[in-house]
Amino acid sequence: MSLQNVTLHVPPKDKLSGRLDVLMMVSGFLLALFVGMHMVFVGSVIISPKLMNALAWFFEELYLVQIGGPVILLVMVGHFILGARKMPFRQKEYVAFRAHSKMMHHTDTTLWLVQVATAIIILVMASIHIYTMLDTLPITAAKSAARIQHGNWMPFYIVLLAAAAIHIVIGLYRIGVKFAVVTRENRPKARKFMVYLLVAAAVISFLTHIRLSLLTI
Amino acid sequence: MSRRLHIEIFRYNPLDPDSVPHMQSFYVNEYDSMTLFIALNIIREEQDPSVQFDFCCRAGICGSCGMVINGRPGLACHTQTRDLPEHIVLHPLPVFKLIGDLSVDTGTWFRAVGKKIEAWVHSDDTAFDVRAEEARMENALAEQIFELDRCVECGCCIAACGTARMREDFLGAATINRVARFYIDPRDERSDDDYYDVIGNDQGVFGCMGLLGCEDVCPKKIPLQDQLGIMRRMLALNSVKGILPKGILDKMKHKGCCHEKH
Ligand code: HEM
Ligand code: SF4
Ligand code: SF4
Ligand code: FES
Repeated sequence: MSLQNVTLHVPPKDKLSGRLDVLMMVSGFLLALFVGMHMVFVGSVIISPKLMNALAWFFEELYLVQIGGPVILLVMVGHFILGARKMPFRQKEYVAFRAHSKMMHHTDTTLWLVQVATAIIILVMASIHIYTMLDTLPITAAKSAARIQHGNWMPFYIVLLAAAAIHIVIGLYRIGVKFAVVTRENRPKARKFMVYLLVAAAVISFLTHIRLSLLTI
Repeated sequence: MSRRLHIEIFRYNPLDPDSVPHMQSFYVNEYDSMTLFIALNIIREEQDPSVQFDFCCRAGICGSCGMVINGRPGLACHTQTRDLPEHIVLHPLPVFKLIGDLSVDTGTWFRAVGKKIEAWVHSDDTAFDVRAEEARMENALAEQIFELDRCVECGCCIAACGTARMREDFLGAATINRVARFYIDPRDERSDDDYYDVIGNDQGVFGCMGLLGCEDVCPKKIPLQDQLGIMRRMLALNSVKGILPKGILDKMKHKGCCHEKH
């Protein structure tokens, strides 16, 4: 027992800190997994709009969208709250961290500020996005194409996509570091892998967007 | 071609009410294999005897000469000027109490965290028998412990840590590495739960955000990243004991992990 924490009462032996840490990692990992699968799902339109429609029909018949959608939203908000415990919301903390990242010119340190910023962007934009999707069920390739071509949703998606991809890539790397999967030895390799992942996500999404904007509705 | 180094030093004496923090420029002719420590001594001897900075061993052993060198914490005696640009900017280490100019008090800080983590071998003293032969230890294990014990408490990893700068109560990488040192020591009888009580919180392993500033500046190349990861995983798994099946926990715990009680 740390002597500094002993006061007049018996200190509680609880494992909350560790559990919250595990929860943050698990929720982040699940969200990353979801976004990866989601990207493949929407990307199926590259192969054929019919495939995307069929997948959408399948997920909706099973009520995966109707139930899964709100669940994802909840997990996302939960993950945000867990992460927010570390965010520099207090002015003193923010000023200290900014001064620090300026002083260090250290990529991993700077990326943390990027992660904080993208987290807030995703929280707002993904909420809007999920609401819109669930509000206009069923999902069809034609509707998605219409949103891109006439609905001016393109800039919205580009920002959300960039934020999500960057946040996830940094997040996965960080989980690896925190739990000794990314070690001193394989760290350069892990960083390279993350860059490839980012490029792959960008390419798939770029093709998806091209396909959706060229689709005749 | 020897260069003429432009060394900018942070000047401030907290004890002098008239002193205001400012930067002061000095110029020194560089020579072969000059270290920053030598350059600073030339400045103090030939140009301004009032410049305050710490040194003792000038060989990277005592850990006194930590300072911020062009934005990165490092040891002045361990840094050769030829690895630096012509313009060198020196600041005292943040986080620690400033004594004056480049000199900070790392001792008080390290003593405080050492007390918090109870940085000594916890064993049953009453069972100690003076006449018995000293307990033996495998050479490999002794070397492992020594590897972690090499930390010179220079404070560079603390000053390079964004978390430590934001939150005053964060223990920092050197401290967690120190706990890891006792964790692998078979003479220390503390259990996983005991270690959890010491660093299983946001001041300890769970406060670390994995920014790896510590790892990238440590002049002694202590395996900070790996130790932070191993200790965090051990304590994270400890916290969900009883929630996840024991078989899975054990498997995850031993994956790529050198921390076994021998
Ligand atoms: C379960 C809820 C979700 C459903 C049903 C869903 C469905 C869809 C659909 C059908 C599209 C195609 C574009 C359109 O129709 O306008 C799309 C695009 C997109 N969604 Fe989601 N989505 C969900 C959750 C999320 C979340 C949580 C994120 C971010 C973390 C996200 C990020 C994106 C992005 C970035 C795009 C653009 C895709 C691209 O350009 O490749 N979505 N989503
Ligand atoms: S771990 Fe390295 S940087 Fe940190 S105090 Fe020890 S020697 Fe210095
Ligand atoms: S890895 Fe952890 S201890 Fe090291 S600098 Fe980052 S937050 Fe600090
Ligand atoms: S003078 Fe001892 S470490 Fe630099």
